[in-house]
Amino acid sequence: MVFLFVAVPLVVAGVLPLLGKLSKRVLPDILSNLTFLFLLVYAVTAGRQIIAGGPVNQQIIWFGEPVQILLGLDGLALFMLMAIALVSLCAGIFSIDYMEHHGAKANFYALFLVMVAGMNGLVLATDLFQVYLFLEVAAVASYALVAYGLGYDELEASFKYLLLSVVASAFVLIGVTVLFGLTGSLGFEAVGRGLQELQAGSTVALCAALFVAGFGLKAALIPFHAWLPDAHPSAPAPISAMLSGLLIKVSGIYALARIFFSVIGMTPFLSNLLMGLGVISAVVAALLALGQKDIKRMLAYSSISQVGYIVLGIGLGTPLGILGGLFHLFNHALAKGLLFLSSGSIQTATGTRNLDEMGGLAKRMPWTAATNLVGSLSIAGVPPLGGFWSKLVIIMALVQAGRWPYAVIAVLASVLTLWYYLLIQRKAFFGKLEERWKDIREAPFWMTAATVILALLCLGVGIFFAAVLKSWVQPAADVLSQGVTAMISRGR
Amino acid sequence: MTSTWVPYLIVAAGLLFAGIYCLLAMRNIIKLFIGVEIISKAVSLIIVATGFAKKNILVAQSLAVTFIVVEVCLVATALAIIINIYRHTKSLDIRKLSKLKG
Amino acid sequence: MSLQILLLVGLVLFSVAAVLLKDLIKAAICLAAASLVLGILFFRMGAPYAGAFEISVVAGLITVLFMLTIALTKTGGDVAESKLATVAFPLFFILFLAVDFIVTKNLIQKIVALPAAPEAGAFGEVLWKQRTLDLVGQVCIIFAGVLAVLALFRKRSKDNDD
Repeated sequence: MVFLFVAVPLVVAGVLPLLGKLSKRVLPDILSNLTFLFLLVYAVTAGRQIIAGGPVNQQIIWFGEPVQILLGLDGLALFMLMAIALVSLCAGIFSIDYMEHHGAKANFYALFLVMVAGMNGLVLATDLFQVYLFLEVAAVASYALVAYGLGYDELEASFKYLLLSVVASAFVLIGVTVLFGLTGSLGFEAVGRGLQELQAGSTVALCAALFVAGFGLKAALIPFHAWLPDAHPSAPAPISAMLSGLLIKVSGIYALARIFFSVIGMTPFLSNLLMGLGVISAVVAALLALGQKDIKRMLAYSSISQVGYIVLGIGLGTPLGILGGLFHLFNHALAKGLLFLSSGSIQTATGTRNLDEMGGLAKRMPWTAATNLVGSLSIAGVPPLGGFWSKLVIIMALVQAGRWPYAVIAVLASVLTLWYYLLIQRKAFFGKLEERWKDIREAPFWMTAATVILALLCLGVGIFFAAVLKSWVQPAADVLSQGVTAMISRGR
Repeated sequence: MTSTWVPYLIVAAGLLFAGIYCLLAMRNIIKLFIGVEIISKAVSLIIVATGFAKKNILVAQSLAVTFIVVEVCLVATALAIIINIYRHTKSLDIRKLSKLKG
Repeated sequence: MSLQILLLVGLVLFSVAAVLLKDLIKAAICLAAASLVLGILFFRMGAPYAGAFEISVVAGLITVLFMLTIALTKTGGDVAESKLATVAFPLFFILFLAVDFIVTKNLIQKIVALPAAPEAGAFGEVLWKQRTLDLVGQVCIIFAGVLAVLALFRKRSKDNDD
């Protein structure tokens, strides 16, 4: 039952505030984390079975009447569902300890679950309007979650995020409506076929521009990135992990890829546009990250940079490029989630996010230091960790397609990435232990456990990259590639 | 089809411009939010007008109804954030909210 | 048709007034009036349900929420808007509308569209049977909104022990 992916988090989210009155701590923790675990297990086991025979559209029967809930599960959707469930499970485990002093944990978990339900719904939607609807669900939940601490910074960041995001959603909806006006339907297949028949170049170009602006803003591509460096650092650490690791990718990149590949069709102009935006984001954000003092702000700029990489790979449009882009999406979700969680550990232990004030923390917080190192090296692209392989695939794809300038710039951006991550390592963890930190303790158990799980995953994905590529990423990439060839073969 | 569509598109584009201008130029954060509301009106006008022009009014109506529900929840959340901001700074001026540099 | 044009002009005027007015309460009332006009427009376009929703929810509920917020933030003193922005707006707006009119008139000739399939059923059927996932989405977003308001207005106690 594919619908469970959306229904289960929603029902638990509805029940949690009521349960929260009974038991403030234990019950919400257990229930929410069990839900995440269920989503993960269901995606990995039952999901694979369901799509063993090819993509599936499920229609539901309610109260004896068939209702039109059409959820499409294919390789790409399953891949995203698995990634969402994995990172949310670790962020959920982390929140067991981290959200103690924020209060109203049941409410926090409930909002978290609604955001996950929204993301799952977006991934499973087969209809343009439903993509918009679940996009908004996840977005509204995230506005409240960013502002959750009710501190001054958080409220300011959340408000600015809200204003920009509302404009983005409006653009997306206008694009959807224009497509509806052209073709008379909203489902992916129907719109795709309708656009084939029409060949209405300029209007579709307008829609594509609206989508690039809207989804680009959600994904924080430069020049639409202004909200991210404020919003992600101010949010509580597990929410930063969710936003940077998942939301910008699901509501930005996934939706963009799905619509461009399966509905509108990728033209050379669009491909060049996406690659250009991607490469600019990769480089400019990396340069901006170098000058940051706040560790979470540096990580936020790094997110913009890596999203640029992913868009570069997917924008290339060749099967290898899409494979690399999706693989990097997964690796970045794991590693960036890990890094934000460990920055939360640092903040809990030392009370600061300023890199200049830290120093030598590795001596007192060995677990945090080790997992942070693993995450940093993975994103920077150091073998044998996952990030190395995904960046390699992207660069290989660029070379294969003959795009030498892009490949060279990608490698240079990778070097920059390595540089500022090593900066974090040197300033925060290694070096002399500052006087005032000599009595700090390692982060509480669940927080450390969550980071260790993610670190092991980064390591595992890196070592077993061939298996991961073959069984998870390839089916996902095939869905997008087939969309491309289908468009080409229909004489576009 | 298109001749009935035109006046609505023109007005909706104008409303969109007014809303975005309001977001860019106004200082009172509640006024900023009025800009967001105007953008929402523009979007719902486009939705219903498209349905009207395509003789597909039923689907367009359900889209518009769902969009209005989304808008209400958005407004509730945003006004909650605005009230909290006011509690912190005792002012509704967006220029006071410039601690973070973006 | 001419009544539609009149209503559209009314919509634009009320919205511009909502942007330009200094007093927040008057601006909110202009916004409500704009919603009213929009609701009537919807009704005349053959979308009675959308019109009813627009009037009752946007002109009603959202205006009440705005009034509530304005009342709760009243003692802060007025925020003076930039004079330049207020004066420049009508000029830019008329300029934009002129460009918009010309561009749309020219562009619209080039748009081809598929003829739509004839519609069957009533509105209720379409909403409940054909677009059921939208209803699920509505439930989700209502959850999100309610939980958000609950979270943002929670009591901050000094110590959070159970």
